[in-house]
Amino acid sequence: MRLGGLLLLLAVGCAAALPAQAPAAAQNPTLRQALQAYDNLNFASALTLARRALTERMTGSDQARAYELLGFSYSATDSQVKAVDAFKQTILLDPDRDLDPRRISPKITSLFYAALGQVLVVRQLRVDSARFVGGQGNVPIRFTVTSPARVRTRAVLGSTSLLIDSAVVTGTVNLRWPAQLANGDPVPAGDWLIVVEATASQNTFSASQPVRVTHAAVDTVPHLTSLPGYPELPETEIAPQSWRPAGLAFLYTGGALVGTLGLESATLGSSSKRELGVVGGVALVTGFVMTLRKPSPRPAVGNILYNRLLRDQLVRRNQDITKENVTRRREVQLSAVPLKPAGGR
Amino acid sequence: MSRAAGVLAAVALVARAAAAQQVTVTVGPQFALESYTEVGAALQYQGVGVGGGLTARAGRFSGDAVVTRATLNPTSGNSSLQSFKATQVDVWVAYDVAPYASVEVGITHRSIAPDFAAQSVGAVRVGARAFSDLGPGATLAFHADYLAAPQFSGGGRAPISLDLGFTLDVRLAGRLHGTAAYAFQRVDRKTNPGSTGEIDAPIQESLGRLGLALAF
Repeated sequence: MRLGGLLLLLAVGCAAALPAQAPAAAQNPTLRQALQAYDNLNFASALTLARRALTERMTGSDQARAYELLGFSYSATDSQVKAVDAFKQTILLDPDRDLDPRRISPKITSLFYAALGQVLVVRQLRVDSARFVGGQGNVPIRFTVTSPARVRTRAVLGSTSLLIDSAVVTGTVNLRWPAQLANGDPVPAGDWLIVVEATASQNTFSASQPVRVTHAAVDTVPHLTSLPGYPELPETEIAPQSWRPAGLAFLYTGGALVGTLGLESATLGSSSKRELGVVGGVALVTGFVMTLRKPSPRPAVGNILYNRLLRDQLVRRNQDITKENVTRRREVQLSAVPLKPAGGR
Repeated sequence: MSRAAGVLAAVALVARAAAAQQVTVTVGPQFALESYTEVGAALQYQGVGVGGGLTARAGRFSGDAVVTRATLNPTSGNSSLQSFKATQVDVWVAYDVAPYASVEVGITHRSIAPDFAAQSVGAVRVGARAFSDLGPGATLAFHADYLAAPQFSGGGRAPISLDLGFTLDVRLAGRLHGTAAYAFQRVDRKTNPGSTGEIDAPIQESLGRLGLALAF
């Protein structure tokens, strides 16, 4: 008996923190008195006051709080069946209610989970924010079904209702909504409602989550002005300095001299070389000057061909981008944002 | 004054026609040096003169026309020889058979004043030309022509007549070009004076030209 009393104190002490989610202060005065009695470990009083509060006019939140207080108080007084019944009412009133196992005693937590397994609710319906091009992504949806049930998940906007999934499931469910109509078009923009309906024999439960779907134009790809990593090469190059001009001038002048000497008539004697000397001298000086001059740039054939290839590639790539942009301009970028926490009945 | 105006008008006409037809034309004056020998070593003449040249190029075709007028004086000091003026006209057209070679055909004519101071000669020239670029705007060309069907003012024939030489064209600045040309002509003339049998009366001439030209 003494050991039992210690365990009871431990259980109550752990439970004193009450719900994990720190609900707002109760509005009903009787419920506030019941909570005070529980904090003072006066469980009999807490039970009486909580039951009385439930006969009074209360908000849904206060009702769930009152049943939860009953569940804790019955747990403290070892009335496990009654505790489970009280927790079931709590769960039905507030399906997302949860206990923090770090603060609540395992005894109470186990009774709470026992109650969860005996009711059919859809808990913790969450729709994640998503942004994607229509037809190329989806909106993640997840929720928990406490008992095996046929679950139908739909997206509803006005008179439009799209079935997302229908299956017999229990536990945590992950779904993906492609946000497409039956014909493959993106869903119209608007405030959609994700509705999850669970049915098991005579029991039904549904939860919903509003989601705002908006449309936006898909970003287009800018055209390229160069291929990254492939710069154009200079199309001219400076040839190395050479003696070719002087050599050519010497060759042509020499050729003319040899030709003149060869053609000269023996009977006419040696002809004057004045003309050849003057013109040949001019040619040799010109050749020498050309040799000393910095060579002018000449076309670099390899680089020209490379650049042509590069520009062809660039044109082809930009043509592909143009085609891609035409497709992108027809596409719609969808954004889905959940509007407020899920509710359910 | 009227002659200068005529030259300017001709140059303007050539420039307009060249621009319209996408033909490259150069035209300009030349200073000439000339040596002339005939029959024997005693008949040697040398002199200077002036001239003008016009070249045109369109695609693979090119053409040249050169006129030179020089006063030639005897070099031996022989008082029995007289000076004369030689006016030589060379015209030819060429077709490029390769980037460095062309074949050409044209005429050459040298007239002498006063008559019979030396031989006037006319012939058809057929030959080839090879050219090379010395550098940007500078071209050297070597030519060798056979002078066919020569005609002489003093009669006779010439089974072998050749003309060879080279030309240099350098772009000095913008449209201004500098030109230099050398040509050596050997004509193996044979005559039969008084029907006593053929005798050799060869002619050889070397002509050097330096000039400026404007390109259009």
